[in-house]
Amino acid sequence: MVGMSTKTPPIQRIVEIKTIAEQLHFKLSTLLLHSGKVVEAITWFRQHTANYRSLMGSPEVIFLHWEWLSRQYLVFAQLLETSSADVQHVPSMVSVAAEKPTEWEFHSAYYYQLAASYLKEKNVSLEFALSMSEDVGPIDGSAESVVASAYLGQFARLFEHGDTCIMQSLTDDEYVRYALAEGKRFQDSFEIIALLKRSCEAYSNLKAERTAAYCGLQMAKEYFAVSDFGNAKQTFDNVASLYRREGWLLSLWEVLGYLRECSRGISSAKDFIEYSLEMAALPVTSDAFEPSSKDCGPAGPATLSQRGKIHEEAFEVARGESELNLKEQNTELKVNSDYPLYLEIDLVSPLRVVLLALVAFHQPVVKPGAPSLITISLRSQLPTNVEIDQLEVQFNQSECNFIIGNGKKPHIAAISNIQPGRRVETAPSLVLATNKWLRLTYEINSDHSGKLECIYVIARIGPHFTICCRAESPASMNDLPLWKFENLVETIPTKDPGLAFSGQKAIQVEEPDPQVDLILGSSGPALVGESFILPVTISSKGHAVYSGELKINLVDTRGGGLLSPREEEPFSADNLHVELVDISCHVPEDQSEAPSDKIQKIQPSFGLISVPSLDVGESWSGQLKIKWNRPKPIMLYVSLGYYHQSGEPSLQKVHVHKSLQIEGKTAVTISHRYLLPFRQDPLLLSKIKSVSDPDQMPSLALNDLTMLIVSAKNCSEVPLRLLSVSIEREEDNDACAILPQHEEFRESVVHVPGEEFKKVFTVIPKLNCTRLKIGTVCLRWQRDSRVEEQFDFCDSAYQVTKHRLPDVNIELPPLVVSLECPPHATLGNPFRYSVKIHNQTEFLQEIKFSVADSQSFVLSGPHNDTIFVLPRSTHVLSFMLVPLGLGSLQLPRVTVTSVRYSAGLHTSPASSIVFVYPSKPHFEASDMKETRTNSVVAE
Amino acid sequence: MASTACFMIVSKNDIPIYEAEVGSVPKKEDAAHQHQFILHAALDIVQDMAWTTSAMFLKAIDRFNDLVVSVYVTAGHTRLMLLHDSRNDDGIKSFFQEVHELYIKTLLNPLYLPGSRITSSHFDTKVRALARKYL
Repeated sequence: MVGMSTKTPPIQRIVEIKTIAEQLHFKLSTLLLHSGKVVEAITWFRQHTANYRSLMGSPEVIFLHWEWLSRQYLVFAQLLETSSADVQHVPSMVSVAAEKPTEWEFHSAYYYQLAASYLKEKNVSLEFALSMSEDVGPIDGSAESVVASAYLGQFARLFEHGDTCIMQSLTDDEYVRYALAEGKRFQDSFEIIALLKRSCEAYSNLKAERTAAYCGLQMAKEYFAVSDFGNAKQTFDNVASLYRREGWLLSLWEVLGYLRECSRGISSAKDFIEYSLEMAALPVTSDAFEPSSKDCGPAGPATLSQRGKIHEEAFEVARGESELNLKEQNTELKVNSDYPLYLEIDLVSPLRVVLLALVAFHQPVVKPGAPSLITISLRSQLPTNVEIDQLEVQFNQSECNFIIGNGKKPHIAAISNIQPGRRVETAPSLVLATNKWLRLTYEINSDHSGKLECIYVIARIGPHFTICCRAESPASMNDLPLWKFENLVETIPTKDPGLAFSGQKAIQVEEPDPQVDLILGSSGPALVGESFILPVTISSKGHAVYSGELKINLVDTRGGGLLSPREEEPFSADNLHVELVDISCHVPEDQSEAPSDKIQKIQPSFGLISVPSLDVGESWSGQLKIKWNRPKPIMLYVSLGYYHQSGEPSLQKVHVHKSLQIEGKTAVTISHRYLLPFRQDPLLLSKIKSVSDPDQMPSLALNDLTMLIVSAKNCSEVPLRLLSVSIEREEDNDACAILPQHEEFRESVVHVPGEEFKKVFTVIPKLNCTRLKIGTVCLRWQRDSRVEEQFDFCDSAYQVTKHRLPDVNIELPPLVVSLECPPHATLGNPFRYSVKIHNQTEFLQEIKFSVADSQSFVLSGPHNDTIFVLPRSTHVLSFMLVPLGLGSLQLPRVTVTSVRYSAGLHTSPASSIVFVYPSKPHFEASDMKETRTNSVVAE
Repeated sequence: MASTACFMIVSKNDIPIYEAEVGSVPKKEDAAHQHQFILHAALDIVQDMAWTTSAMFLKAIDRFNDLVVSVYVTAGHTRLMLLHDSRNDDGIKSFFQEVHELYIKTLLNPLYLPGSRITSSHFDTKVRALARKYL
């Protein structure tokens, strides 16, 4: 320390002051942050930097100031980062005054960013200072011995004399040299990039992608500055995509300018052309403010003239007219046959502004072989006109591809490798003007059915430059994102405005018209129960049928999920209303060996059967057997698919569809009723108890004859033939006797629609039980084939309609009252009219009776009385009547009342009518019997 | 008047629809569109802050070195952004309010499609006049 003056020179003095201030600030900040006082720490830091920011010091070593400032930010960022792990600070953002920290100031990313920014500043100043100092001369070796002295922030020269070291203070001049030499040793760029990368990542984590993009931009510029073009391009690309998305044109322009230079750096002509074209097509139209070109980045000023310049430059390179100057080693890259250039533009490419290709078919559907018009519309936003040498339109059906040559350059149209047989059209000119549609309309023919879609429109400019543009439909065209909000003349891509809104780039080519008839023989409604047979006939008119397949589907007309063919769940017969039972066909004799590909698949609602090959003019027929279990209307869909030429699997199948609605109807409805014998009324106690119960079981009297009348009504629209009717007993016992059990009609009964057929059975219950199963009525019937001769299949088959008779209650009637009177009477002749009361019980029965007088008769006998009927005996009330009138006359009403059961007998009006003749008629006894039966049936 | 000021109007789709350099001193040796980059980065904070306050004038929301970003958010979420280096809050507020009025007048033009670039020279002149008056 000998000889060291206490007063340091001004430059070193400032360095010392700052170093000490840094130390103090570091300790303060650490303490504040550790105690969780983030806001105070930030305020303190801001004050600290504000105090020293203006203290720049001597201009020769101004880089030291920037370096110091950068270090302040870096240290604070690191402090904040380590402390923010435990202090989760949520900044209050209600009002951010100028004094309060902004939101970013709570995050280390902000400080890293600024640290990088000041380091950059330092770098610039250092380079400037170095360039100045080089004029002075090389730095002498004495600087190497400068070391930091024992005092903080002071430097001294170290002299070595043998064993003793002497520290000698420096002059400012010496210190400056030392600092410059030190500064040269460091590569600041990498540090700047590292800082920005940290900042960028931190911002990305905060979901602040725009701020992150700004850091990314600075980082990429730094990469660019150190000629690391690969990294620079990648980072610039990320940034550019954000600016592109948000439409920040000037920023995008700037970044693209850098990217253009980067692609020069990495020797990529394709990238260079892409970025150049995108720049040229940017909607930078205003020359509102024109900064002098030295202020601009590599892109130059964002003006229309600059766009034109970039455009020309790009096309000169693309056409191979000039070389692309590369950055390294003064090499050049030329687009030629060794380096062809191929650009692809898809729906999301930013190059859509360069070339937009819309393709619209004029019709949505076309027949195979029939011509259809197609309009190709091209538009470019490039500032100057582009002349295309050749356009190629590519479809998914490659035989439809065609080439449009430029009529003005016929010799160039031939250069490209045109495949033989390819259709070539010539357009008068293929010049794309700015924002003007180039519309080309051509006819196109496709022989293949299916979808014909335009995929690419390929433009060739010059011998080795190709732009492959994915075709878009005008109907689904998106606006160009950057041009959307510019003041542009709105134009529509096609001449026809309707097509501009609805045009599609794809067209449906229909399958060829079938020349085969599919005939479904309709035979009116089907009847439930029968196997309804539907003939299907395929007759060829103009096409031969190969590998034909017949598909049959049954669908509920109401759209309910009756029988979906896809349902794999097993169908049970009860819940299946309609089912396809069988498909039968007439197999020709010579094909009885059945070819291996013969398919036959039958499911309840779906059937598939292969159709043998048919030549033109031949026909084939089969029968579908469908069974209705319940009445239901269904739709029957039958479709035939076939190839009209054999052995060409590439051909499309031709389909014929037919459908038929068939109603399944109930053929016969059977009803029944019980009838007591004429003029005989047993007293059934169960009938008295509940009078108005419709669900009550019918009661029959034990050991008494009851008539059962079964009536069958034809509900269908076709005449039916009834074959037999029978009652099938469920339990084979003698509980009741039914006669006749079974009746076969010797000459079958023809049953016309709407007619009712009645059959009388007699039932005598033999067993007293409360629930007697009577049995089931079985009616066998078939369609009347005499009416419709073509349905000969009905001959042997018959259907059975069943009707289960409800259970009946059998009981022993305590009393049976029967009226007896002759079937007819003669005027003036007396006849006997008696009421028999039979007591079947073991009790004495008290019976009251009364007779009402009738004007038509003279009556003799007891009028009213109370009588007692002995157990198991019969009491007869007998009256003599003399008719006074003629015709059907009402007999005097007899009312019989049982006191024990408080039940009365009211004879029905029908049973108390007698016919009075004027004189005694003469007829056979058998006739009389029939009259009586008829009258019963007529009831 | 501030030595540096860059004024931008950003539509609700985040697309800049008007931009003007309104500083009295020509730009420093910064790269040409530096100001735009800074303003674009500030949009991140604006989108957070716009919903936390009912005031339209968000004051200074971002600071970059000695440059400050002040933002005014209209009811239609169009953002008026100013990058400046002076601390004249009242002047900036008045400037924003007047420009907002101008912008509304532009919107009333039936030929102006909301969200598209403002190309009216009248608007440009008025904004520059206002900048001279208040900043």
